[in-house]
Amino acid sequence: MNQTEPESGAAHSRPFLRLFTAPAVITAAIFAVAMLAILQYSVRAHIPGSLDVGGFTLANFAGMLRPLYAWVFIDTVWLCLLTAVLSLIFGYPLAYALVRSRSLFIKSFILIVTVTPLFLGEVVRTYSWIVVLGNNGFINSVLRGTGIIEQPIQLLFTVTGVTIALVHVTLPVVVVMLAAAIAHIDPAYEKAAESLGAGPVRVFLTVTLPLSGPGIVAGLTTAFAWTFSAFATPQLVGGGKVNMVSNLVYQLGFANFNFPFAAALCVVGLALTYVSIAAMRLTLRPLEKVGLH
Amino acid sequence: MKRFLLASAALAVSLWALPANAAEKLVISVWGGSWKDLVEQTVAKKFKEQTGADVEFITGGTIDRLNKAKLAKGNPESDITFTTSHVGWLYANDGLYEQLDMSKIPNAKSLVDQAKISPYHLGTWAYVYTIGYRPDMVPAGVTFESWNDLWKPELKGKISAPDFDASHLVVVSAKLSGADAATWEKGGDKLKALKPNFKAYYANDAASQQLMQNGEAPVQVMLSMNAYHIASQGVPVKLAIPKEGAVLGIDTIGIMKGTKQADLAYKFINIMLDPAVQAEVATMKKGSPVVTNAKLSDDVAKLPGVFTTPEQWNKEALVIDHKLRAEKTGEWRKWFTENVIN
Repeated sequence: MNQTEPESGAAHSRPFLRLFTAPAVITAAIFAVAMLAILQYSVRAHIPGSLDVGGFTLANFAGMLRPLYAWVFIDTVWLCLLTAVLSLIFGYPLAYALVRSRSLFIKSFILIVTVTPLFLGEVVRTYSWIVVLGNNGFINSVLRGTGIIEQPIQLLFTVTGVTIALVHVTLPVVVVMLAAAIAHIDPAYEKAAESLGAGPVRVFLTVTLPLSGPGIVAGLTTAFAWTFSAFATPQLVGGGKVNMVSNLVYQLGFANFNFPFAAALCVVGLALTYVSIAAMRLTLRPLEKVGLH
Repeated sequence: MKRFLLASAALAVSLWALPANAAEKLVISVWGGSWKDLVEQTVAKKFKEQTGADVEFITGGTIDRLNKAKLAKGNPESDITFTTSHVGWLYANDGLYEQLDMSKIPNAKSLVDQAKISPYHLGTWAYVYTIGYRPDMVPAGVTFESWNDLWKPELKGKISAPDFDASHLVVVSAKLSGADAATWEKGGDKLKALKPNFKAYYANDAASQQLMQNGEAPVQVMLSMNAYHIASQGVPVKLAIPKEGAVLGIDTIGIMKGTKQADLAYKFINIMLDPAVQAEVATMKKGSPVVTNAKLSDDVAKLPGVFTTPEQWNKEALVIDHKLRAEKTGEWRKWFTENVIN
């Protein structure tokens, strides 16, 4: 009798729990079925000239044991890390100013500049970068017009160009996450440090920055995971010269009808994302703990 | 009462006199954008005028529509499908197409041989993938008489090609190496040697046009219709027809198995092959008509890649067997991705 009382009490206090969680459960179930379908495809044989798949096989995974695929996975992880770190470096000052600035104009300006890209489609954003980064694009035109360079700098179809465009995609999310973390820091900690004689830089480095640890970890891991699935940006700005896993999935699956191999690439890519994020969280755990004030 | 009965009879007679298909609808699966507009403004317009039936479009990419058709096998969403010649074979191989009754398509008697793709699908218009270039941006002295010219060292970092279909360059490399599409492996080393000349690979028509327009890749394995489209917007692009021939592409039409509108579908295909409609389509897209009796203006007929005579079809078109292409596309694409793109 005693064991059932807390349960009924909990149910009483949250009468709509089941109703409200039902959509989430249904959505999760649909995603799970989709994932199982991909998993199933990854272990089926490809039949050339047909979309039907053959019997069970591990050949798709064996086919990935080539340096080419290893390099694409390594390049993808490297691009994700680079994008996440650069998003943090550029996003932190913006988030800090967004939260701490007393000027409504500055707050509004930062919010508009950082959040507006979220309202543009990925393809529109990416095409804009093609216009900006091209040999006759904005950057090269300005540099040539001012006499700084004579020949255009190659930005399109390079890792640099792809990284710039990817950071533009992830920056708004990182800024919003960091701003939320910074807003949760009790200013009393910083005032206490100041009253003990710490200068503004020391206060920031020893109090503000460590206390925003959870936001930094969340921002880094989100930017990393988000970039891992980037497709349009590396496809269009990379022009086939900078390829990530998603581009390989497209090239070999959708343009090639080899859905089993594309599914196997997805499975390995997903596993790699989980491993990478777990490794990041383990590495950043001390920072996260400091921030849990 | 008598007046009422007379009025009712008159109404019944007038309804009877309306075109038989007035309430019927033909659903057409086609690519979106300018392709849907092309079909809507030419063949569909004439079809509606002649039959009184309505037309509805389902649009999407080549593979998206194929996947959807597979999922709806036996109870198709569309009655008719436009797709490429080799992907049409995938529809046929998967039992998605009706076998065509040619007696119901009288205009098909004028089809060029190259457009008689299979018992299940017929060509509707043709184009070529060939060398497109910006004369103002290629190094002085570089000309394009042969596909071999793409390998010139002066073109290092200047060319682009589609990343979604490697068949053009795979077959061209095989041909230049003394082989053909069936023995394409013999051209593998030749194609790998082209790698330094690639600036980028394009994923769609828009990217192809943009690369040419902004001069990022001033030499391209390019769809003739795309070249003529940007040329009409003032981009100084030219097309070359190499002596080995330009790679022929044919878009096709087939009737979906299980359609309830077979009669209308046959009428639509027959109108598609009407010489006047063919001329209209060729003029709008700067492609080749697939019937011998279509009359084009001299301005269109003289364009490189527009074939109007048997000699042009035979000498200037490099034809890849459509069924072989359907079977090999995946293998070629994977090889190209592994050995050239990456």
